[in-house]
Amino acid sequence: MNSPSQRLADKILKRLLHEKLLSEPEAKKLLPKLADGKLRSQDWRLAIELSTPRKTKP
Amino acid sequence: MPFSLPFEKGKQLTVIYGENGTGKSTICDAFEFLSRGKVSSLENRGLGQTLRFWPSMGKTPSDISVTLETSDGSCCATMTRSGEVTAVPTDKRPRAEVFRKSQILSLIEATPGERYAAISRFIDVSGVEASEGALRDLIRDLRRTQELAIAGLAQNQETIHQFWETAGRPATDAFAWAETECQRGTESFEAESAALNALQIAYARLVEIPDRLKAAQQAVKAAEKSASEAAKTLEDTVQTASKDAAEVVAVLQAAQAYLAKIPTPKVCPLCESEERMSNLANRIRLRLGAFSTVQASQSNAVAAKQTVQRAEQQLEIVRNKAREDVTRFEEVLAEFTWPKDIRLPTRPVPTTLTGLAGWLKDSVELPGEWRMAEIERHDRKQFVATLNHALETWRENTAAQKDLARLIPRLERALEIAMEERRRFTDEILASISAEVGRLYEAVHPGEGLNKISLELDAKKRASLEIGASFCGKDTRPQAYFSDSHLDTLGLCVFLALSALEESGETILILDDVLASADEPHVDRLIEMLYSEAIKFRHCIITTHYRPWKEKLRWGWLQNGPCQFVELMRWTPQTGLALIRSVPDIERLQKLLGETPPDLQSICYKAGVILEAALHFLTLHYECHVPRRATGLYTLAELLPALDEKLRQALRIEVQTGKDSAGAPIYKTVHLKDHLDELTRIAQARNVLGCHFNQLSFQLLDADALAFGQQVVELMNVLTDGDAGWPRNAKSGEYWATAGETRKLYPFKKP
Repeated sequence: MNSPSQRLADKILKRLLHEKLLSEPEAKKLLPKLADGKLRSQDWRLAIELSTPRKTKP
Repeated sequence: MPFSLPFEKGKQLTVIYGENGTGKSTICDAFEFLSRGKVSSLENRGLGQTLRFWPSMGKTPSDISVTLETSDGSCCATMTRSGEVTAVPTDKRPRAEVFRKSQILSLIEATPGERYAAISRFIDVSGVEASEGALRDLIRDLRRTQELAIAGLAQNQETIHQFWETAGRPATDAFAWAETECQRGTESFEAESAALNALQIAYARLVEIPDRLKAAQQAVKAAEKSASEAAKTLEDTVQTASKDAAEVVAVLQAAQAYLAKIPTPKVCPLCESEERMSNLANRIRLRLGAFSTVQASQSNAVAAKQTVQRAEQQLEIVRNKAREDVTRFEEVLAEFTWPKDIRLPTRPVPTTLTGLAGWLKDSVELPGEWRMAEIERHDRKQFVATLNHALETWRENTAAQKDLARLIPRLERALEIAMEERRRFTDEILASISAEVGRLYEAVHPGEGLNKISLELDAKKRASLEIGASFCGKDTRPQAYFSDSHLDTLGLCVFLALSALEESGETILILDDVLASADEPHVDRLIEMLYSEAIKFRHCIITTHYRPWKEKLRWGWLQNGPCQFVELMRWTPQTGLALIRSVPDIERLQKLLGETPPDLQSICYKAGVILEAALHFLTLHYECHVPRRATGLYTLAELLPALDEKLRQALRIEVQTGKDSAGAPIYKTVHLKDHLDELTRIAQARNVLGCHFNQLSFQLLDADALAFGQQVVELMNVLTDGDAGWPRNAKSGEYWATAGETRKLYPFKKP
């Protein structure tokens, strides 16, 4: 059985995906670190930045 | 002494009954030893390290061996001399949760912190909390960076505006002007600045020319004058000396050189005479001394001539250098296209010293102007660089500000989601545990548990858990208002709810004497609740010294279908732990009836007692009239007539015989009247054969005794279900039913 942290991490990432704050590949990368408490500030920033839609140039 | 406890196949619940000191807790210890390698029943008894007390008296740790044999394989736990417990094979080691009477209030009376620790494994999300903390830190840092970027942006704008104002507000706005200014570049300023610098250097060299030329010319004149004076002195000195003095000096110098090589010649090297040869060298030195003034004058004259030559050479060098400097200046002037604001000499540099001096006098102000022009261009270059830097920083800060303005809200939303989900997750787990505790508690204390028990995390304290309960309509702490019995039940319910949360299907649940403080009728409900909860676990073992439980099982008053009941004999050092199998009385009666030859007295005695139990049940159920008696003891002669004719006509049982193809139960209806009438007719067999020595028994046939026993068995088989117990459930409102409605007793009320 998954630990409470793992189950919660899964729920959080699903919502972040749903709200399009994270892309699927980034969410997959974050999952183990989020549950283990090893997610650093720069990991959060990179994941959110990479998942932010780029503005299309006119 | 080795002890073996066989488990009946298909029975998930084992109730172990034994009076105090029969070894109930030892069996629980064995499961804990096998599962967890420890024996907690001895803890907190002031024994310190309990290891040495684990074996029986006179035994050693290595004598301990516990084996669990199942259809899935077996696992054996033993202990080394050093106290290490090993279980082989480890993958077959059973998972067990042991809950003892001494622990029943542990979760209730524990501090909020201890209570949290007990359930932390179900709600511990510290990993996510740490990651959430990193996100919070990031947002805080980025907010600070954003504030700095905004402040920097304002400062950049102000700087550019100041430059624009200073420049006289050209163009439409400060930034358009700044962009244009910076696009111009600084190369022209650099080139002009370099040319002006070269021009100043070249001019400075021209300025030096007159002085250097004059100095060189004066040096030539001075040298010529010195040479003239030296020549005159030499002439005078020579005239003063003999006419051939010069030649004589030469001869003497040659002789001195000769004597230096040959110090004592025998003859004169010039005339070959041997006369006056002694002391010749000394005499030559004296004579040469007399000619030294001439020699000095000669040297001075030669040196003065050489000085003149050198001065003339130097003068030529200075002249050449001056020509080069003039040429260089003209080149510098020619090789650059000078801006209009730079003033230049109006005529070429003259080639004469006098002309140059006049030219320099006419252009004396120009180097100062060039210097100022150079400084002005340098300042201009610096200004553009500063403007460019300010513009670049403004662009960077603007871009950073835009990036942060997009990123921070997304990060903040992510944090919001993480916090929301974490709180919801924890609340849901606690709510589900609370609901489960409430459901279990409700089963024992109807109307007191559902939605009335809560587990609450203290938001102000970390890792702190409170138990809440509703009492007299108010939310409060149960410890303050609940009775000991209620608290015991609550403790047990919390333990059961937590145990069921984690791999319950793999867990052996062991409850050691936990019914102690429950009172009637709660204990019946508690037992029923334990029955229904036991099926959630791999197996459930309950030990008890509660005698009514044993008796109720014996009489089939409890549904004992999934339950195996075992009884322990008193422990002795000789026998150790020993089992008695508790057989329900109806089974005993059936066994007696099957014996050959039959024991009529025993059959009648046993059948009489069982019939009394059945009549006791029916007369209480239908509130039949019997003589009022303080002892509450009644004979068959009093109980049988209490079931009057009207009731007997109405009494019927629907016996479940199976299920149809759709799964609906099939019932067969049996009227009790015939059974009761027949029993009334032959009930005297009980007293005549079963209870007393009576001559009347001589007149009775064996068949009458056997018929009495058989009739009781038939009545009981119709009225009760060996697995589901007696029809006591009134939920339908139309009949009384056993568990699973295997029997339905009509009528619901006495007609």
